[in-house]
Amino acid sequence: MSRTLTFEAFYPHPPDRVWRALTDRRAISEWLMENDFEPRVGHRFQFRAPPQPGWNGIVDCQVLEADPPRRLAYSWVSNAIDTRVAWTLTPEAGGTRLRLEHSGFRGLKGYMVSFILGSGWKGKILKEIARVLDELDRIAPATGAQ
Amino acid sequence: MFDDLERADVFRAVADPTRRAMLELLRETDRSVNELVERFPVSQPAISRHLRVLREAGLVRPRKAGRQRVYTLEAGPLQEVYDWVEHYRRFWPRRLKALGEYLDRQPEPRSEEA
Repeated sequence: MSRTLTFEAFYPHPPDRVWRALTDRRAISEWLMENDFEPRVGHRFQFRAPPQPGWNGIVDCQVLEADPPRRLAYSWVSNAIDTRVAWTLTPEAGGTRLRLEHSGFRGLKGYMVSFILGSGWKGKILKEIARVLDELDRIAPATGAQ
Repeated sequence: MFDDLERADVFRAVADPTRRAMLELLRETDRSVNELVERFPVSQPAISRHLRVLREAGLVRPRKAGRQRVYTLEAGPLQEVYDWVEHYRRFWPRRLKALGEYLDRQPEPRSEEA
């Protein structure tokens, strides 16, 4: 089973422009979230969205890879779940194919404990089990977004 | 090693098809180790190892029933996995679409500075 959520999209724009949209602070805020991103390995930054029930609206990140205009990766820590987001840009006729991989679940244990200690999960969950198992079977590479 | 690092990892626990099948059986009802062994073409030690992985991931809970150990499904960790997956399965396609719309709104390269 894959531990990665994978999405792909094609944009009729050259890789340089897609790269800019992925790495320019103001551009990112237009399509993703407010942020203090810099395309520099090691840079720590946050995405910020309005808080929601069960989420404080903050994603803590650190740039792991920045290879313009091909590859960008950063850690993505939200609700104590430690994950990683990686973008791969591939030039294609007439534009750019963008692949997004969201992977890694290192901080899960701690979060699971607090979750299980919380109330109200039991009734809902038993109905959902079969669907969860199906879902995990289906999350193979190349889950297309487009 | 992988095994030690991720011993209690629910993702690893459900990665194995035999363990998923065991969870499916436990979804129907609690079952003893012997009942589980009867259902699979693998040895009792193999089933016991699978049960240990599931137990350490918090997915099953054993109890004594006479001379038997009976296992109950503990669904909490799966709910968490499910919620995480569901959230991002919805989140990213929307964001990728918004990225496309943003790109389409930008002026053509010729008219851009630099």
